[in-house]
Amino acid sequence: MTSTFMGLEISKRGMAAQQTALSVTGQNVSNASTPGYTRQVVNLKATDAYPSPGMNAPAIAGQLGTGVAAGSIQRVRDNFLDVQYRTENSQLGYYQARSDSLSQMESIMNEPTDTGLSNAMDQFWQSLQDLSTSPTDSSALAVVRQRGASLADTFNYLSNSLSSIQSDEKGQITTTQNQINTDLKQLNDLNQAIGNIEASGNLPNDLYDQRDKLLDDLSSFVNIKVDFSGPTSGSPNPTAEGKATVSLVSDTGTNLGTLLDQNNYHQITVNYDGASYDGVNNSIKTISLDGAANPIDFSTMNSSGKLKSLIESYGYDNNGTATGTYTDMLSQLDNLAYTFATNFNAQQQAGKSPNQMNGTSSTVPPFFADANGAAITKAAGFASRIQVSPQIQNVSTGLGDIATAGANGTYGDNTNVLALANVIKENLPYGGSNSQPTDFQSYYQGVIGGLGVNSQEATQLASNSTTLQQSADQKRQSVSSVSIDEEMANMVQYQHAYSASAKMISVQNQVLDTIINGMGVGN
Amino acid sequence: MRITQTMIAANTLKNINNNYTNMEKYQNQVSSGKKVTKPSDDPTAATTGMYYTSDLNSVDQYKKNVTSLQTWIQNSDAGMQQASSDLSRVRDLVIQGMNGSLNSDDLKTVAVEVQRINEDLANTANTQVAGKYLFHGTDVTNPPVTQNPDGTYSVNVNSSNYNFEVSNGVYIRANVIQGNSFNQQMFSTVSAIQNALQKNNTSALSGLLTNLDSVSNTLSAERSDLGARSNQVDLASNRLDQQETTATNGVSNSIDVDIESAVVNMTTQQYAYKAALGVGAQIIQPSLLDYLK
Repeated sequence: MTSTFMGLEISKRGMAAQQTALSVTGQNVSNASTPGYTRQVVNLKATDAYPSPGMNAPAIAGQLGTGVAAGSIQRVRDNFLDVQYRTENSQLGYYQARSDSLSQMESIMNEPTDTGLSNAMDQFWQSLQDLSTSPTDSSALAVVRQRGASLADTFNYLSNSLSSIQSDEKGQITTTQNQINTDLKQLNDLNQAIGNIEASGNLPNDLYDQRDKLLDDLSSFVNIKVDFSGPTSGSPNPTAEGKATVSLVSDTGTNLGTLLDQNNYHQITVNYDGASYDGVNNSIKTISLDGAANPIDFSTMNSSGKLKSLIESYGYDNNGTATGTYTDMLSQLDNLAYTFATNFNAQQQAGKSPNQMNGTSSTVPPFFADANGAAITKAAGFASRIQVSPQIQNVSTGLGDIATAGANGTYGDNTNVLALANVIKENLPYGGSNSQPTDFQSYYQGVIGGLGVNSQEATQLASNSTTLQQSADQKRQSVSSVSIDEEMANMVQYQHAYSASAKMISVQNQVLDTIINGMGVGN
Repeated sequence: MRITQTMIAANTLKNINNNYTNMEKYQNQVSSGKKVTKPSDDPTAATTGMYYTSDLNSVDQYKKNVTSLQTWIQNSDAGMQQASSDLSRVRDLVIQGMNGSLNSDDLKTVAVEVQRINEDLANTANTQVAGKYLFHGTDVTNPPVTQNPDGTYSVNVNSSNYNFEVSNGVYIRANVIQGNSFNQQMFSTVSAIQNALQKNNTSALSGLLTNLDSVSNTLSAERSDLGARSNQVDLASNRLDQQETTATNGVSNSIDVDIESAVVNMTTQQYAYKAALGVGAQIIQPSLLDYLK
């Protein structure tokens, strides 16, 4: 025969288990809109049946079930979907940052409008043409000088604005680096806490959720691979996830270094040790990982994410030369300004100026100069320094120094003015000394076209990546997020089960009442 | 696939956002009148637009040059016409002097008229337009003809050309060749005629008549050349007008938006946006809680 209070015990277990299940349902419902929350389910398991086989087993109908117990409370999460999501997230981080950076560059270049460099050059050409129809007219000379100064100002403005955004990118790189390191530190703390709790046989679901959220955040900065290894000490639950090991991987899957291991995290540092792009500031060559013997070379790193995109915008070392979105655009502007200014100066100095013809000076000064009136020697950074030379800017004698006449001409000859205007339409090697000669506007249109194509591509890819990331997230949500309807249905189910168990206790109470109060001595 | 409330809410929000973004794009197009405001909107259209804008700026400038050129040519022509009729009058006077019907006092009177004509020729040669001497090559700040103390004229000949650009790489000379028009020979011949008439030296007149004819012929030839150049400038002007139309069309096709289609797109997008809002409101509200007692 079974014990007297076995029925009570069974129902009591039933009530306790349903109460646990109701609590878990309550927990799910409360956290229905918590970001990153994974719904939890309680594993209700029937407790061991009675009697178990043995010599002293009682001869009763067997086996009799002994009730229910809540086995473990588990998260419903598919790790594979997490891997998918994190891959898409790192692509999105890359393209989003790239799209933003190129968009900013487009705003600065401000084409096709009538306030950009293209228009400034057109106006300079127009002023030279007006001068050619009346080369002795001092107001026409003044306009040429003014338009030349506007052109130089436009170059300066573009170059300085791009440089300032580039410095901004450097700030963003530092911030991203710090965010990565902060995430790693927090992950390490969580790892240790999770390890401690798992050793006692419980599942730290909330800590798992926090860890997953941090891993998602980290994946938008760099491409990572996460491995879980189960706890080795204590008496862990078989479904325990274990501590996470995070490795930095390239897009092809090559392991580049360990960011987080079982016991510690390894900070990353971005090193500005590459070739200089303007003679003052260095580009980025390597990224060091704490504890790794050799730093990672950026040009072979190929790990998509916000960090890679920011570094590409700022400037990195590619086989000894600094290259990057902003670096390249600045250097193209420098080449444009340098090639134009040196050729224009050469033409200016091949002509004769009114000051030469009236004896005020014996030489023709250059039209454009470097900072502080120095002669133009190098192209690097020139676009930010180009200016009309101080001799031409001189209020009293400057206008007379513009070489209007040809080498053998008289005052009133416009040959050199036409030649100066022609420099703007002439084919020159604007792309650098070995490039195909083309005229200023065509070359500049090519530069803007290239920028447009890159920016459009980045925007489209960012949009595609967003769609893919959202789709991966949807699949995750489908598995892990809380459905109020489902929880309500479960709640009703558990509520009824609880009520039924409670009713059973009343019935058992009546049975016991009959036995104890209805039978025995005195009745 | 299991669907939850958070998924539906997230999806609805995403779709409403997309609609809103598209609506904003079309509103931008309608209000700015441009479909390409930055290169990434359409890189090819942006570069084509830049090309035609630059082209249009060039054409506008060339048209201004052509106007200056036409002013120069018209004024030169007026001056040369004046000179031509002056020389014709001198010829008549020389013939008159040569036919022997005039006495020495009459010849002196004729000489005075020739002197007046010589002055007129000098003034015509020193015509200025907008402060520039027309008939002195590129030396436009100095007068070509100066009077000597003895009444004769000295002519400084400048043989450089004054070119204006009327199209890329196409130059047209603005000035007449001074050596073929208001040259020293013209003034020397007229002064010599004046002198001969003054001194009653009618025998020299036939030789001077030959010289005068030679000067007149050269002047005529130069004037025809000027006429031909004027035609050339007119042709260039017509070409520039056509080029201006082409360039304006080019800019407009690349950058400007077709207003009708932009407005239609914008209105359609507004409806889509409202529909998304309406549907979203309908589906994110009900749940099982509403039905449990």
